[in-house]
Amino acid sequence: MTRPTSWIVHVDLSTGTIQREPVEQGINSAFLGGRRVGKKIIADHLKPGVDPLSPDNVISINPGVLVGTLTPGSPKTTAITKFPTIAADDGKHYIGSCTTGGRYLGIALKRAGCHHLLITGKAPSPVYLRIRNEAVDLVDAQNFWGQGIEGVTNQLVRREGPETGVVVIGTAGENLVRHALTIVDKTNSLGRGGLGAVMGSKNLKAIAVNGTGDVEVAQPEAFMETSEALRNRVLQWPRREHWIKLGLAAGWDTFKHTQYPGIWPKDKWDELYGEKTRMETVEEVIACNSCLLSCRLKWMTKGGEYDGEIGFGSPFSKSATSGMLLGVEDFRKMIHLVADGNSKTGMDFYTATRMIDFVTTMYEEGRLTKQDTGGLELSRDYETYLKLYNMTVNREGFGDVLADGWLRLKKEFGLDPQEYWYAGICKGVDFIYDARASNFHPLMMTFFTRPRPHHGGSHTRTNSRNKTIEEIREQVERWGISKDAMDRIFTEAPYTGKFNVGRYTRYMEDMMRVKNALGLCTIYTYQGLIFGDDMTQLYNAASGENLSPGELVEHGERVSNIAKIVNVREGFSRKDDEVPALWFRPMESPEGRIEMKDYYQTKTITKEDVDRLLNDYYEERGWNPERGVPEPQRLRQLGLGEYADTTDRANKHRLV
Amino acid sequence: MEHKEHLVVDVTKCRGCRSCQLACSFAKFKVFNPARSVILLEREVETGHTAPMICPIACDLCQGDPACVRACRYGALTRESQGEACKIIVRC
Repeated sequence: MTRPTSWIVHVDLSTGTIQREPVEQGINSAFLGGRRVGKKIIADHLKPGVDPLSPDNVISINPGVLVGTLTPGSPKTTAITKFPTIAADDGKHYIGSCTTGGRYLGIALKRAGCHHLLITGKAPSPVYLRIRNEAVDLVDAQNFWGQGIEGVTNQLVRREGPETGVVVIGTAGENLVRHALTIVDKTNSLGRGGLGAVMGSKNLKAIAVNGTGDVEVAQPEAFMETSEALRNRVLQWPRREHWIKLGLAAGWDTFKHTQYPGIWPKDKWDELYGEKTRMETVEEVIACNSCLLSCRLKWMTKGGEYDGEIGFGSPFSKSATSGMLLGVEDFRKMIHLVADGNSKTGMDFYTATRMIDFVTTMYEEGRLTKQDTGGLELSRDYETYLKLYNMTVNREGFGDVLADGWLRLKKEFGLDPQEYWYAGICKGVDFIYDARASNFHPLMMTFFTRPRPHHGGSHTRTNSRNKTIEEIREQVERWGISKDAMDRIFTEAPYTGKFNVGRYTRYMEDMMRVKNALGLCTIYTYQGLIFGDDMTQLYNAASGENLSPGELVEHGERVSNIAKIVNVREGFSRKDDEVPALWFRPMESPEGRIEMKDYYQTKTITKEDVDRLLNDYYEERGWNPERGVPEPQRLRQLGLGEYADTTDRANKHRLV
Repeated sequence: MEHKEHLVVDVTKCRGCRSCQLACSFAKFKVFNPARSVILLEREVETGHTAPMICPIACDLCQGDPACVRACRYGALTRESQGEACKIIVRC
């Protein structure tokens, strides 16, 4: 059987025109989300230097190749856009991709035959985009404007039907808060770094999708055989029983070490935010499509001023770190802020709470004054935090500065985000993990090597503590990379420990791009339940192709290169791939001094060590190590020669 | 009295993963499509709760080895031996 046809749906919000065209024959549509649409964004639609909040920005939404099948953990949809986060002092912005799961959105797009949705322009007044199989139209949404996410989602599901997949922005997105995100199917977020603001700038309140078509695979029997084998493997996972009871809340034992902010003793944190509080609050654990693990939650707060409040998503880990940072001992108050972001405003909880922490301390230290804050006294109490949060959502007074993110704070008041004391900041984005508490493992490296700094979508075995070198080696071997590359990764060196994090990261990023293009969830690669060779079997049976794991990872490499090239055009280079200065300042905690160590905690990692690892990373990619830009020769080898001139110019003339 | 395997639906255990629907459509048509399965997944809009509803006329229990039961790993769909001659039992 031949590969099923894929379609691109292009919606121009300015003119209201809709075009639906098949993906060209012969194009490997598995990588359309990264490679081909990335190319289309550059060549056809997204010109370098455009304002991300202008009609010239584009949004591309792509359900994964395996979405809608019975593959365990295959719900993921990818969105690509130019994010409005201010990423550098010169005001530039990165182009990046983000993913979401959910129960309805991805499968609805696939069943509607909308494999790649491309949104351009700006609607004259608020609309929502409605997709019902091949019928695509824009519907007036003026009555939804100003309404919260959950209410709009409920109304859209009632109006469009129970199978409707929904993406909605909240009031923060409408008000162009640069760290506003979107919420999918009430349970999942999409687009940390400002996808919500991009939709808001386009007057696009929501996307509602319904489809009734088949999701086909090229070799049904072979596909199902692989899928069944993987399902059985997942069911044997020893931690599954605990996981399906608590979802993402199950990870406290690891989390309390890897994301420890170092202010309270761990015992106190355990008591205030640990597993007991989670057990009391979880009402239901919700699964995304075809998932055998379940990580989304429906929770209900019990007692306190928010008694009875219900929320969807996963509130516990984020509230625990920010709760400690802000000194809020009642976890229910922090969970209320998560609920508010998920159900009403769509504001990113991490950035909002950490900026509040930063400015409050700056105020206490006299580096911000009442005059700077427009008369507001910043005291370290929950009521003031709530006030600042709402001012940010509404861009009121001092909140207007916070709504533009970390680098606006620097520009206005000279407060350098590199001074912030938890996790570190790169390209204008605050990180979730603190590398001192987590140790310097490959996910830490992706925080500054990826064009869009983010923790999500790249978890491998190394994200867990103290996996044996044999386990790590097995995972890399199953990505199908060459023996030479294996030797380079697993050569012990004083600056890297038992394996070379820089070289490992290059292949990890590429394989994880494959995983995201397929629509697989990161929990499965993180826990060592699905490997590169498994993905290859699934992909081959779904597409009718016959690739090796090494060829598949090379497709991932193409996506990584195009992702880099579009950002080189925006002016990004090695100087932007900057490791947070914080990581080299020891954390003085009640548990003692915590320094950034290597994965096996054998030595403290220095700035020079990280610089060498970054050199190794670029070298492994075939990129110019001085500027972090792809070399033309490697691009030609990958069949991306059409971009060679761009990067050649950038390297030779030091344009970046 | 005839002894039969029954398909027992416990709607309180459904997590909305839709594996039952996808397995059903694949067993019958070799494609993945909830609309082709005999299972309708009800969705409570406010609470988000889901509940599988099986059309008893269309379901042939896959000749005694229902694909949906094999696919559901949360206990919402199970098999049970009972002495009564009914095919599908719903527990709420």
